Amino acid sequence: MNMTQLPIIKDIYGFLGPDMMAGVVGLLLVLMFVPLNSAFLVYVERKVAGHIQLRPGPMEVGPHGILQSLIDAVKLMCKEMITPDAADKPLFWLAPCIAVIPAIVCFVVIPFSSVMQIREMNVGILLIFAFSSISGLSLLMAGWASNNKYSLIAAVRAVAQSIAYEIPLLLSAMSVILMSNSFKMSEIVAAQSPYFWNVMVQPVAAVIFIICSTAETNRAPFDLVEAESELVSGFHTEYTGMRDALFFMAEYTAMFIASSMAVVLFFGGWHGPFFSGIFWFVLKAYLLVFVTVWIRWTFPRLRFDQLMNFAWKVLIPIALVNLLVTAIFIKVF
Amino acid sequence: MNTPYGFKQYVKEIYTGSKSLLIGMRVTFQHLFKPIVTVQYPRQKPVMTPHFRGHIEAIMFDDNKSHHCVACGLCARTCPSHVIKVQGEKTKASDKKYGKKYFIDFTKCSLCGLCVDVCPEKTLKFSNEYELAFLSRWDGVIDIMQRLEESK
Repeated sequence: MNMTQLPIIKDIYGFLGPDMMAGVVGLLLVLMFVPLNSAFLVYVERKVAGHIQLRPGPMEVGPHGILQSLIDAVKLMCKEMITPDAADKPLFWLAPCIAVIPAIVCFVVIPFSSVMQIREMNVGILLIFAFSSISGLSLLMAGWASNNKYSLIAAVRAVAQSIAYEIPLLLSAMSVILMSNSFKMSEIVAAQSPYFWNVMVQPVAAVIFIICSTAETNRAPFDLVEAESELVSGFHTEYTGMRDALFFMAEYTAMFIASSMAVVLFFGGWHGPFFSGIFWFVLKAYLLVFVTVWIRWTFPRLRFDQLMNFAWKVLIPIALVNLLVTAIFIKVF
Repeated sequence: MNTPYGFKQYVKEIYTGSKSLLIGMRVTFQHLFKPIVTVQYPRQKPVMTPHFRGHIEAIMFDDNKSHHCVACGLCARTCPSHVIKVQGEKTKASDKKYGKKYFIDFTKCSLCGLCVDVCPEKTLKFSNEYELAFLSRWDGVIDIMQRLEESK
C-alpha cells in the first residue's frame, strides 16, 4: 500500500465511521417510529373524531381503546391481498411501496434537536419537498393500475390538486428561507430564538403553509382524492389488507412530516421556553397534527372548482404578495 | 358569475370566510370537552320510556299476585297475524276459567296492539323488552306465563 491511496482509505473509513453509524441507527429508529406513529395517529384521529361528535371513540381494546390500532394492524396483516384481474399488476404492487418510501426518506433531514438529525444536508428543505411530491406519483400509479373508474378519477384529482397546492406551499416556505438565508433545516431553526419564532413575523405564510400541507397530504377538507361520498374510497378502492394499510401509513407519516416542516419553518423547531430539545419539537409537531385532525372533523369537503379557485385565486396571490413584501423588507432593512 | 367582482369584494370574502372558519373551529373545540351523549350499549343499558312497544306481557295484579287472564281467547281471535295461542283450565266445573298457557310468536307480530285493547280483564300490556335478537325462529316464540313467573 503506497501513500497515495491513504486519503481514499480515509474517505472510506470516514463514510463508514460516525456518518454511517448515524445513518444506520437513525434509519432503524425511523423504521420503528413510522408504524408506531401511524398507529398512534389513527388512534388520536378516532378519539378526537369521537369526542368532537360527542361519542367516546374506540373504548374496547385496552384502557380507553388504546390498543385498538395495534389490533387493527394485526387484522390488516392477516387479510388477503386481492389483486383485481384487470389491474396492471406490477404497477398495482409498486404503488403502495412508492407511497411509503418517500415518507420514510423525509425523516433523514428533519432536525429533532440540535444533535438528533440523521444527515445534515444543505438542501434539506428541497429534499423534503421533492420526496413528498413523489406521493402524487404513487397516487397516480395506484389509481391507474387499479383499472377502476373511481380510482382513476381520484388519481387525476390528486395530480391536479398537488400541482395547484405545491406552488403556495413553496412560496410560503420561500419567505422563511429568505429570512434565514439558508436551505438547511438546522440553520433555519438556529436562526429562531426560544421566544421569537418565525410565525410572529410570518403569520400569513404560516397559515398558508398549514393549509397547503393539509392539501398536499390529501386531508379533509381537501380530501377529494378519497371523497367517500362520490368516489367510494378513491385511489385505494381496490386495495385490501396491508397494501391499503401502507397507504394509510404514508398518509399519517406525511402528516407528521408536514407538521415537522411547519415546526421547523415557523414554530421554532427544538427551541422552547426553559430548555431546548426534542421534547419541544415533538410536542409542537403533535400539536400541529392535532390541529389538522381538528380541521378534518370541523370542515366539510370542498367541491373541486372551489378547491382550484381557492388555490389559484386566494392562496397563490397572497403567498406571492407575502413573499414580495418579505423580500422588500429584507432588502431595505 | 356575472356580478362585478372587485378587489374590495375579494378581500371581504377572504375576511368573512376565514372568520367563519375560525368560528366553526371554536364550536368543534368546545364539543371536544363536552360529555359524551351516546350510550355504551352492552356496558350501559338505556332506560325505555313507558310507552315503548315491546312484545306483550301479562300484568301482575296485587290481589292474587298473578295475572287476571280468563283464557277467553279474544286476543287470539282478534290478532290479525294469528300469533297468539291461549289455553286455560278450570279446577272445578263451577269455577272461572284461568289462563294457564299463553304463547306469542313474536317473529310475526306487527305490534298493532289490538290484543291489548280487546282484553276484557285488562291484563295485557306492552313490555319494555328491547333486546329482541334471536338465534333461531323458536327463540321468537315467547312464553308469557313463564315470563310472569320469572318476574315474580
